[in-house]
Amino acid sequence: MKKISPQLLSPCISCGYCLSACPTYQLTKDERSSPRGRISLMKEFNAGSIDATNELFVEQSSFCLGCRACEPVCPAGVQYGALLEEWREVTWSGKNLPLRIRGLRIAVTMTPIIRALGRIRRVKQNKPNPPLGSDFLMLGCVERVLYPQLSRVIAKRFPSIVINDDQGCCGALHSHNGAPTKGHEMALSLGQDLPGRIVSTAGGCAAHLSAEIGREKVIEFSEFVLEKILAGELTIERPVYIEGKIARIGLQDSCHLRNGMAVFQQPREILSRLGTFIDLKSSKDCCGAAGTYAIMRPHDSAAVLSKKLVEIEAADLDFLVTLNPGCQRQLEHAPNLRKSTVRVLHIVELLELALSTQTLEDSH
Amino acid sequence: MRNIGSNIAHRIWKWWFNNRTVIETLKRIVGAEYVLSSSDDVAVYKHDATPLFSGTPDAVVLPRTTFEIQEVVKYAAEAGIPVIARGSGSSLSAGTVPIHGGIVLSLTRMDQIKEINPAEMLAVVEPGVTTAELASAAVKLGLLYPPDPGSKIISTMGGNVATSAGGLRGLKYGVTRNYVLGLEVVLGTGEVIRTGGRLWKDVAGYDLTRLLTGSEGTLGIITEITVALVPNSAQSLNGIAYFASLKEASLAVNQIIATGLLPATLEFLDQKCIIAVDEYANLNLDRSAGALLLFGDDGELDIVKKHMELMEKACLETGGFGIEIATDITRSEQLLEARRCSLPALSRLAPTLLLEDVGVPRPYLAEMVEKINLVADKYQVICATFGHAGDGNLHPTIAFDESDPDARTRALAAFDEIFSLAISFGGSISGEHGVGAAKLPWLKDQIGAEQVALLKRIKFAFDPKGILNPGKLGS
Repeated sequence: MKKISPQLLSPCISCGYCLSACPTYQLTKDERSSPRGRISLMKEFNAGSIDATNELFVEQSSFCLGCRACEPVCPAGVQYGALLEEWREVTWSGKNLPLRIRGLRIAVTMTPIIRALGRIRRVKQNKPNPPLGSDFLMLGCVERVLYPQLSRVIAKRFPSIVINDDQGCCGALHSHNGAPTKGHEMALSLGQDLPGRIVSTAGGCAAHLSAEIGREKVIEFSEFVLEKILAGELTIERPVYIEGKIARIGLQDSCHLRNGMAVFQQPREILSRLGTFIDLKSSKDCCGAAGTYAIMRPHDSAAVLSKKLVEIEAADLDFLVTLNPGCQRQLEHAPNLRKSTVRVLHIVELLELALSTQTLEDSH
Repeated sequence: MRNIGSNIAHRIWKWWFNNRTVIETLKRIVGAEYVLSSSDDVAVYKHDATPLFSGTPDAVVLPRTTFEIQEVVKYAAEAGIPVIARGSGSSLSAGTVPIHGGIVLSLTRMDQIKEINPAEMLAVVEPGVTTAELASAAVKLGLLYPPDPGSKIISTMGGNVATSAGGLRGLKYGVTRNYVLGLEVVLGTGEVIRTGGRLWKDVAGYDLTRLLTGSEGTLGIITEITVALVPNSAQSLNGIAYFASLKEASLAVNQIIATGLLPATLEFLDQKCIIAVDEYANLNLDRSAGALLLFGDDGELDIVKKHMELMEKACLETGGFGIEIATDITRSEQLLEARRCSLPALSRLAPTLLLEDVGVPRPYLAEMVEKINLVADKYQVICATFGHAGDGNLHPTIAFDESDPDARTRALAAFDEIFSLAISFGGSISGEHGVGAAKLPWLKDQIGAEQVALLKRIKFAFDPKGILNPGKLGS
């Protein structure tokens, strides 16, 4: 029977440094829902004392958000994200695969339908024959359908980026939901569809792709923008104003972008140019969206989110910026935030807001 | 070293556990949700951060109040079931491993800071509050809780008191025992007592607060802690110097103290630690140096600056090179972090780390670190040493693969010899991690048979049924 890679498990020395970083441990204060406890369970599974259908084993593999906040704080360098992928492959297989996951996995592989939906939503397209060495925009399955405006902004502001909707899913959903082999294949195939540097507006997809096809082939949107600013190809002349005052901007990090790709400084630098950037203490904490988590476990997802909302509300923000469509959706639908004046925007949208007022000024 | 631990008493309470009323009683006390009893549920509570030790709890209880703990202990005392208090499970001496089974009492849900009082300069906390949570709450009010064990981001105050945890500021500020003013404790009989209180001066009765501090859960379950705070210093500065070996770094430490300074921080790492830490944290350390000395002080800026200059001078006189004084708080924190993460970062060397916590009087520091290297050579083990040079507390860490029986035997032999060395210098087998199950066999060598017998008599007074953390101090 399939085991979880011992070489991934053995670096853990049970020091417990991960406990304070784990959102689910912070909810329960119970070792079973901590990264260290989960690794103990995986070791028990490998030793044969619990099996793949064990209730606790299955429950914990699903209760874990997969945010990987435990990785940067782990001095021993345990690759927890990789462990979780293998773990869910064990618990979510065959008839134990949750129905909703099965459905989602199938949905994202139906490229023609996603393409059609994207076209209905007027996703931008350009350049049928891209020159060599181009940057390609990754359209993203969820994003194409829910946030098609992102590709339109990018087409307008960065015409050199190739946008071609003949592309599949990156496979992150598969890898994070029990099918890492398929997830790997999908990433490779997307790498072939987009034969250049891939620009991603979704932190989760970027981290998955970069792990599968190489860090140098993937650039997340805020990295890309900062690169353009530093190269002098893009100037943000004035910040965003709200009712005559410089906008107050908060950030929701994308967990995988931060913990998997170590990209967190770049969006902060951009936001500091777009307004008064307020670096909330909870910016780095998972918002509870966590890919399929918000769909699978809405109650726990809301509990994780509610821990952040107090700080967000108290910060008197004009904008709360996200780097990933999942987080965007989660925060847009947070009941407290809907009532307040803070607007949840993807970083692409806020950048456009700054650039368009700039253009307006120019035209006057 | 692993405890064999099954005897007649064990079987008797095992029988109690098979009788389901035990679990049902526990559930009635704390609520069904907070009692774990199936073999997979309790499996994650078998270990703490100590390698080679494990014990399967018969139940894990996560209480929320002193009253619940009292009821659990009363019941356990009646039934003769062991009760093992546990915080974040970061013990490095197998102090929270239930080697005889029983009820693991996880105190992590008791995580409220009840009071921080700037007028009285004290804080009252529940045992599950982490050291870092208390420290940052105190800083917000301009106060400092000085003990800062390396694992402060997870270690709980209950665990800190139970082991009298030390940390990086021990030389100038002392350790946990210097700050505990009062405790609320559930004894092994189920009685609740309050020792000490809110006063620095209080000699009414034996100093039970101090006795309970460092008692490793064998005398009572700590349910509330009152600690003293001090004013937070205006400024702190930190710097590093490199040396050819730990011996030279030790000489620098003696030179610094001889200058008449009592700095807040004097920590050292050997080359293996430097490499492991730099690998994890990318701090731009000089990986070719034999040792690194971290030095720092806090107080008024001009005084701290003067102290830093004097320490720099002492380092240069004893062969120090590559001196760097952190110019901003970020770098300063990074340098301290380098020391804090030493232990886990060493896990990059081999899967199992056998960690010592010996202490020697400071004048013997240089000789001790040299002898540790000789022991490592003798048994052909990889031994990386770091520690609190200022207070003579060393952490020689033997990295090996426990699946290799020969490596394991050699590691344990070296472990044993380092204890004997420390005792021969008039030192201690444990400076700050506690004796736990891991070092109990050596306790008698240090404190003598009469004192061990006295510990047992004290233990009997607090816990006549012997249910609290059996297999540890005085049991």
